[in-house]
Amino acid sequence: MIKLIELEWRKLDRKKVFGEVIIYWVILMFLPVFFLKVVFADNPAVHFGESYGAAIDLMLPIQMGFLLFGASLINHVFIEEYKNKTMALSFGYPLSRKRLVMVKVLFIALAVFFCSLISFVLAGITTYGLDQALEVIDGSPSAADLMTYVVRMIIHSFATALASLIPLFLFGIWKRAVIPTVVCAIFLMQFPNFLGLLRITLNPDLFYAILSFLGVASVYLSVKLVNRLGDL
Amino acid sequence: MNAIIQTNELTKTVKGKTIVKNVNLIVKKGEIYGLLGPNGAGKTTIMKMLTGLIIPTSGEIMLFGKKLAETSKEGLKRVGSIIEYPIFYDHLTAMENLRIHCEYLGFYDKRAMIQALDMVQLKGIGDKKVKDFSLGMKQRLGIARAAITKPELIVLDEPTNGLDPIGIKDMRDLIRTLNKEYGITFLLSSHILGEIEQVADRIGVIRNGQLADEVSLSDIRRQRTDYIELLTSNVQRSAFLLEHELQVSNLKIVKDNRIRIYDAGISAGQISKLLISQDIEIEEIQKHTSTLEDYFYHQIQGGDKVD
Repeated sequence: MIKLIELEWRKLDRKKVFGEVIIYWVILMFLPVFFLKVVFADNPAVHFGESYGAAIDLMLPIQMGFLLFGASLINHVFIEEYKNKTMALSFGYPLSRKRLVMVKVLFIALAVFFCSLISFVLAGITTYGLDQALEVIDGSPSAADLMTYVVRMIIHSFATALASLIPLFLFGIWKRAVIPTVVCAIFLMQFPNFLGLLRITLNPDLFYAILSFLGVASVYLSVKLVNRLGDL
Repeated sequence: MNAIIQTNELTKTVKGKTIVKNVNLIVKKGEIYGLLGPNGAGKTTIMKMLTGLIIPTSGEIMLFGKKLAETSKEGLKRVGSIIEYPIFYDHLTAMENLRIHCEYLGFYDKRAMIQALDMVQLKGIGDKKVKDFSLGMKQRLGIARAAITKPELIVLDEPTNGLDPIGIKDMRDLIRTLNKEYGITFLLSSHILGEIEQVADRIGVIRNGQLADEVSLSDIRRQRTDYIELLTSNVQRSAFLLEHELQVSNLKIVKDNRIRIYDAGISAGQISKLLISQDIEIEEIQKHTSTLEDYFYHQIQGGDKVD
């Protein structure tokens, strides 16, 4: 299985994917301070800068940006392969389609998980570093804050990895459409903000649990129905 | 019989339309089998099913004596193929493509990869990206990929598509070499008769998704009849003279003004000389050979097998 996942990586245009990840990392590492210093600077109702504990609540949804990376990988690993027929090439190997889809899913999930994890680390270091210079967060991070951050970053990266697979079945395997896949990811990313606008309060943990469940359901349908969809 | 491929009532229906219907195909070990049929007859669909690219609607495929199914594709380890046109990861180099192919098959031998590139005259360009290849080069790389693991069966769909005349000859030679030297069985498809005729041992004629007939090329060659066709206004007298003066025993009056002489020992010159000496006007005299083309045409038009 590991060998097959490695092959998925080698088949990709790796420079393109690396470039994309670096852009995500750079943007997301500066976003917390940007929000604190620029966007929320004149908004007394926002309290994310009151402590490191509060700042963590801001940093978590920002990292949902990796849903977009998941959509991009669905495009590279599934949609492009269907469109340029390299998927058919893979179907000709002594490997069942279900296993092949599972390998691709694992590749995407692992890539999103680890890239998100690294992004959390980079964002944490950058936010702390910039706070030393710009003083955007009151106080200093405690050991408890650090612990919370580490635990949340693992749980959050895991949830993001699963949620990034939500567009897989409908837009990746069935419709094979790039733009709806990306739009779906953007919608999911922005969903908490829409709820805020509608003044609906949803427990964040419940929200991430629902997204993770939807991601798993999408994977289940993809594996289950791959033989019935497309070039049969 | 040592069948490498055996299909039983193989059928494929897409959106209510039957593309392949009840095909019972047998490809024997070591032979070069050609699927012949016009475009859209169902050749590619049959090949796609045989190589696991599409799933049959009904029927059964036995590869190397074992059933090929989504859950049991082990037989494909022993098969190399190019279906429709060679597909590659264009952003990767030729060598990277070969390496990925080999790893999917659990085979890794760098020397074999270099040899495969040599074999198709792509020596020294393994580090070139496939997107920079011409169609002919891609076709050759496709053959290298199909043959790299020295599979027992190679399935090639229209293998000379996009090749120049030299490339076509090279391809033919390569197929023959791999067949003779390594004992690789080939299943080829083409709608170009001359191609199949020059390499295949047996052909299967595909008409409207069905296997209309299967025949060995040596049988067709045996059946192939040379004849001299004579056009004259005086058919009866000409036939009489041919029978009595030249002892022709096998002739046929085809139309009012046309005679076909099937005797192998008689030349057009002898016939001309005789008829001119008897003052019979010859409108035309020509030697004909019934070819695979005649056979194929007959099959495609829905006729029976040539006798």
